[in-house]
Amino acid sequence: MAYLSMGEAHRRITDYLSRFCDAVSSQDAATLSALLAISSNFASLQAPADALNVFQDSNQLVNQVERYAQFAEILSPLLRCLQSYRLGRYSDAYVAFEKAANAFLQEFRNWETAWAMEAVYILALEIRLLAEKADRELSSSGKNTEKLQGAGSFLMKIFGALAGKGPKRVGALYVACQLFKVYFKLGTVHLCRSVIRSIETARLFDLDEFPVKDKVTYMYYTGRLEVYNENFTVADQKLTYALMHCSPNKEANKRMILKYLIPVKLSIGILPKQWLLEKYNLMEYNEVVKALKTGDLRLLRQALREHEDRFLRSGVYLVLEKLELQVYQRLMKKIYVLQKQKDPSKAHQLKIETAVKALNWLGMDMDMDEAECIMAILIFKNLTKGYISHKNKVVVLSKQDPFPKLNGKPVSS
Amino acid sequence: MDRETNRPKKLGFRPSKAPNPSPSSSSPVRLRPREEAKRDSTSSIHERRNPVLDEDEETGSPIFSYLVGTCPDMCPAKERQQRERLRDLSVFERLHGDPSRTSPKLAVKKFCRTMSNAELQEVEIRPLPVLRSTLKYLMNLVDTSDQPFEVVHDFVFDRTRSIRQDLTRQNILDDEAICMYEEMVKFHIESHKKLAMCYTKTDLASLCYLNTEQLMKCLATLFKLYDIHRRSSSLHKNEAEFYSFYVLLHLGGKIPQMGSSLSLWYRKLTLSILQSNEMRFSMTLIRYSRLGNFKRFFTRLEAEASDLQLCLVEPFLSEIRARAISYVNHSGYKLQPYPLKHLSDVLRIKESELEELCHVCGLETTMDEAGMKTLPVKQTSFSLPKLGLPVHSLSTF
Repeated sequence: MAYLSMGEAHRRITDYLSRFCDAVSSQDAATLSALLAISSNFASLQAPADALNVFQDSNQLVNQVERYAQFAEILSPLLRCLQSYRLGRYSDAYVAFEKAANAFLQEFRNWETAWAMEAVYILALEIRLLAEKADRELSSSGKNTEKLQGAGSFLMKIFGALAGKGPKRVGALYVACQLFKVYFKLGTVHLCRSVIRSIETARLFDLDEFPVKDKVTYMYYTGRLEVYNENFTVADQKLTYALMHCSPNKEANKRMILKYLIPVKLSIGILPKQWLLEKYNLMEYNEVVKALKTGDLRLLRQALREHEDRFLRSGVYLVLEKLELQVYQRLMKKIYVLQKQKDPSKAHQLKIETAVKALNWLGMDMDMDEAECIMAILIFKNLTKGYISHKNKVVVLSKQDPFPKLNGKPVSS
Repeated sequence: MDRETNRPKKLGFRPSKAPNPSPSSSSPVRLRPREEAKRDSTSSIHERRNPVLDEDEETGSPIFSYLVGTCPDMCPAKERQQRERLRDLSVFERLHGDPSRTSPKLAVKKFCRTMSNAELQEVEIRPLPVLRSTLKYLMNLVDTSDQPFEVVHDFVFDRTRSIRQDLTRQNILDDEAICMYEEMVKFHIESHKKLAMCYTKTDLASLCYLNTEQLMKCLATLFKLYDIHRRSSSLHKNEAEFYSFYVLLHLGGKIPQMGSSLSLWYRKLTLSILQSNEMRFSMTLIRYSRLGNFKRFFTRLEAEASDLQLCLVEPFLSEIRARAISYVNHSGYKLQPYPLKHLSDVLRIKESELEELCHVCGLETTMDEAGMKTLPVKQTSFSLPKLGLPVHSLSTF
């Protein structure tokens, strides 16, 4: 770092403080936001941060000038945060930021209009990012990681400040999404429920009044939750909304949505085209799709084994496992079609032994009992129409459409 | 200027995925060490600096410092005297059957919801050796008492909860704690089976539920202890099996949901646990159950389940078997009643018990010309009874 004179340091700090006060008095949300975006590492923030390491007594500076002093509760900790962040002391930076943010929120509550909403967004984003950095720092030195949790509590405070009548409501969805990100990271996903309730059922909000990009994020997270709870019809609606309304240039976001939408679509019998998987680099689903197309159970199991870690991490493993029934259905249909070609009059009688042979040929170890069991469940779930004669060891298929397609509906429970 | 702190690489530690040992409730309970505590435990000292163990939401107000207990008995003297006065003594604690007299050898500290550490004195907290012997005493009681099981269970349920409370207050996180939690989980698993056997009693449904809830709480804390243990060594010897219990619990339809689905839970597990035999086994059983492949379900269960795993799963078998019966009933050929003998083989149940199960589910059974019991199919009267199903163990052949 080049030598910084006391005078220059003093100038930089007062410059930052002045810009803050000017922004507030002229209701300039954009400038204000830039001053609060600590983790962005803008050069305009690095300059005063460096200065703070030279000019030690910034508190006095804040308190001496009346203009600055009125925002002392915000500015003093904010300067501390800047300084700590620059020094790589993230835990300290977080603690200071939380103080500053709390004070800022107080002021925001008093302002009648929502002019500073953009700054509140920055606050919500930064508290999470700084908390994540702080927890990483704490965890690597073996200490208790609690900052992200604290950030969650603060976000709830912001949420509370925005919920209600008035122009400030428009920011609520953004904050809700920050909360989702925190809860997903912490693994306390069930806490999302109360946020969702506030947004959807408490009748405070009309989803149409929110910016589209916030809705996309919201639908993405709530859609994911529906996937975990295996409510495929709702998950399909939400994730499809997110995909359709996602900005065309946000390829990474689309990929994230598709990662969850594809298993949902598979579960309702809709297969993605190969080019989609290739374009969005989701080739882990490639063999799953093939298995569904060809009725190759071995391929499905293989795919699940090969990408097990990835599927478990994203939480779609159990959803994909369930596709086995559809793969069985496909295989039985193939056998039926082949039989029909050979001898149409006997095609609707599927010997259980034939199914066993087919599966053995595919390398699956299967006996008569298990095959009968599978056929029973296929019939029960309406994936196959017909009945089983246990005595004659044969499945008698319905002459009409014995293997009904799912057509966008999930397999019945 | 250094931005990043040095991050030592630890074996077996996955930094970005390490579960955060924080509670799920909204107000975090924080424990900050006051001083290095003197303890009898033989385990490593460094664990006391570790992320805090933070169990019971029930402890109410936040705890701000560790305590080091000095109570020499299973129950602090002050509580003994108070309960003698109030005649609040369990049947196991009465001296010669007298409801107002107890002794240090009989009285065991009760679980108490409201205490904050500020109000407690060290002489009311039992140190580790006393907790160990208290637990041993309680486990022995389970094995030897001739009181009806629900009475024993109720007593031990409460008193072990109190043991866990004392462990938490002293922030005991080491191998000793792991051992004790494992014992308590075992108790709840065995209770789970024994309670389910008395399915006809109406209040037992809630007893079972409460027992399962407590079982899950113990497991949750145990997993945090394992996490802490894993930072300094490899997997604990029983770790995989105890993780598998959590998975197997999901075979039951009506378990208390601890907040998130199984999919979300899997996300947080380390690879070493996921790849263990016990986890593979339990995850596969879940798969067979969800897919309705009851044939494989029962053969696999019979082949690989450990005693405790079987104990945990057996109360769920009736529901799984009932579902299998409904599949057979639905998909069979109406002119050919299904042979019960065959079905009972597949479902690993005695034929007479299968017959009982059919009847309980509203289905008739008949006999064919050869005198074999059969289930007429396509009956429309199938339903799962509200009070629950009889528990039949796994019959091996």
